[in-house]
This record gives sequence, C-alpha cells and structure tokens, in this order.
Amino acid sequence: MPPSQDPLYAGLGQAVRIGTELLAALIVGGGLGWLCDTYLFGSTPWGMVGGLVLGVVAGIRNAYRSAQRWPKT
Amino acid sequence: MEESPLHPFELHNWIPISLGGLDISINKAVVIMWVVVSLVAVLMVVAGSARKLVPGKLQNMAEIMVDFIRGIIMDTMGKGGMRFFPLIATLFLFILFCNLIGLIPGSYTVTSQIVVTAVFACLVYGLSLVMGFLLHGVKFLGILVPPGTPAWLLPLMVPIELISQLARPISLAVRLFANMTAGHVILGVLFGLAISGGLLIGWLPFAFTVAMNGLEVGIAFIQAYIFTVLTCVYLGDAFNLHGHDEHAH
Repeated sequence: MPPSQDPLYAGLGQAVRIGTELLAALIVGGGLGWLCDTYLFGSTPWGMVGGLVLGVVAGIRNAYRSAQRWPKT
Repeated sequence: MEESPLHPFELHNWIPISLGGLDISINKAVVIMWVVVSLVAVLMVVAGSARKLVPGKLQNMAEIMVDFIRGIIMDTMGKGGMRFFPLIATLFLFILFCNLIGLIPGSYTVTSQIVVTAVFACLVYGLSLVMGFLLHGVKFLGILVPPGTPAWLLPLMVPIELISQLARPISLAVRLFANMTAGHVILGVLFGLAISGGLLIGWLPFAFTVAMNGLEVGIAFIQAYIFTVLTCVYLGDAFNLHGHDEHAH
C-alpha cells in the first residue's frame, strides 16, 4: 500500500481527519444541548448554546489530541 | 443533460423483499457489497493458497497488505492488539475495495451511504466500550477524566470529555461518507460541464475529471487507512486507559 505510507498522503489524511473531528464534536455538543432543552429542562435556548460552546471546546481538544498522536516525520 | 449530480447516489429496489415490515430489498448497493465480499475473499484465498517461500505477484500483494495492517496495529495498540487483527483486516479490505470499486464508471460506491459507514463506526465504538468495561470495570469511566485534572475543573472537564468521546463514532462515520460522496459529486459536476461545454471548451473540465479520478484513487486508500488507524486508536484507548500507563492493571 505505498500511497498511505507516503508522507504526503499521511499528511493529507491528517488534514482531512482534523476537519471532521471539529465538526463531529460540534454536532454532538449542539445535539446534546438541544436534547436537554427539549426533553429534560425546557430551558430553550440556553442548553443548546452551552452545548455548542462545549462542543467547540471538545472539538478543538480532539483535534489537538489527534495532532499530538501523529508521529513526527 | 440536465441531471442532478446527486443522481448516482439514488437507489432503486431491484427485488423488493419485506420481512416482517423490515425492508430488506435487493438493490445496487447490496449487490456491489456482495461483489466486494466475494472479490476480497477469492483474492485472499487464492493469494494464500500457494504459500511459496518466494512469493508470486498475488501472494506478494497479499503479504504486503497483511504486513501493512499488522504495522498499523503494532504502532497504535501494541502486541496485545493482534487479537483484533481479523476484524481490523476485514474492515480495511472491505472499505478499500468498496471505495475502489465505486470508481469504476457504472458501479456504485457503497461507502457513500451514511448507513453503511455509521454501522461500521457504531460497531467499532460499541466494541471499544464493551471491551473497556470488561477489562477495567467501573474504572473505565475514568476515561472521562484526563489525567492530572484538578478537582475544581471536573464539572467542566467531564462534559467536554463526554462530548469528545461521543463525537468519535460520528466523526468516523461522517468522514468516510462525506469524502466518498463529495468526490463523486465533483466528478459528476465536472463530467456535466465537459458534456455541456462542447468540444471548444469541454476538454478543460474533462482533463480535470481525469486528474480528479487519480486523486480519488488516493482518497480511497487514505480513507480506508484513516478508518483503520482510528479503529485501532479507539480500541487501544479502551485497552490501556489513558494511553501512557500500560501497566495500569
């Protein structure tokens, strides 16, 4: 599998990875906040706002972590 | 040639089957999945049947592939991860061949359906959860507390970690699905431009189509590779809690 061991392709993969990492955490954070709003507390819109903020934080943390794990070439 | 670029992703039932209200009709995606499974199986069985000391072409390819997957597992999970080799190798080969077969005009990219990728992601993440709780018991919940967190930060850190954990299966599913879909949409749009542009200017988008197809082959490899690496990383996280303390238990 030469393409994936190529540093260029490994870097491309890493770039693709970080982008989705940010997006997914945002979706989960906002979704959880919205669920809390709608079904648990009825505190619209503050749960979703807080959830989105936490989602951004979690996404950046995930991206940071995945960048840390990458071996230095 | 007024066709939506999303047209290739539509699925039509070929043989409608309904089992107790459950729709298990045979469509193009199902058939392509069968093709992929049989292709991988036949390829690997034929490649593995010779077992020569000096490998032939096919055996060489299979050996490179197995060694590659083994390398990923060793890098991310260590020796203990080798017990997951069959699962991870199957996932890698299936996704890789789905991506590659989808590039043949007229066939179908199974991995551009979020159902398929979501099932894989949920399987991987569910497995990592089950294994974590089996290995570490309740202590596995400590994955929500990063090492070295002061107590006053806990109310903030636990929700953040919870979200970042729950984001894992979603990012796994969305990444593969979005990359495959986006690539094929771009190809569709460029082809549409090439056809409607005529000979005078149409060669330009057509040249881009050729270049994009080459890029898509690379993306097919990268996406299969990333999916496999992340599977190993997530399973490894459940394996050795907090990554560094491998002798924790």
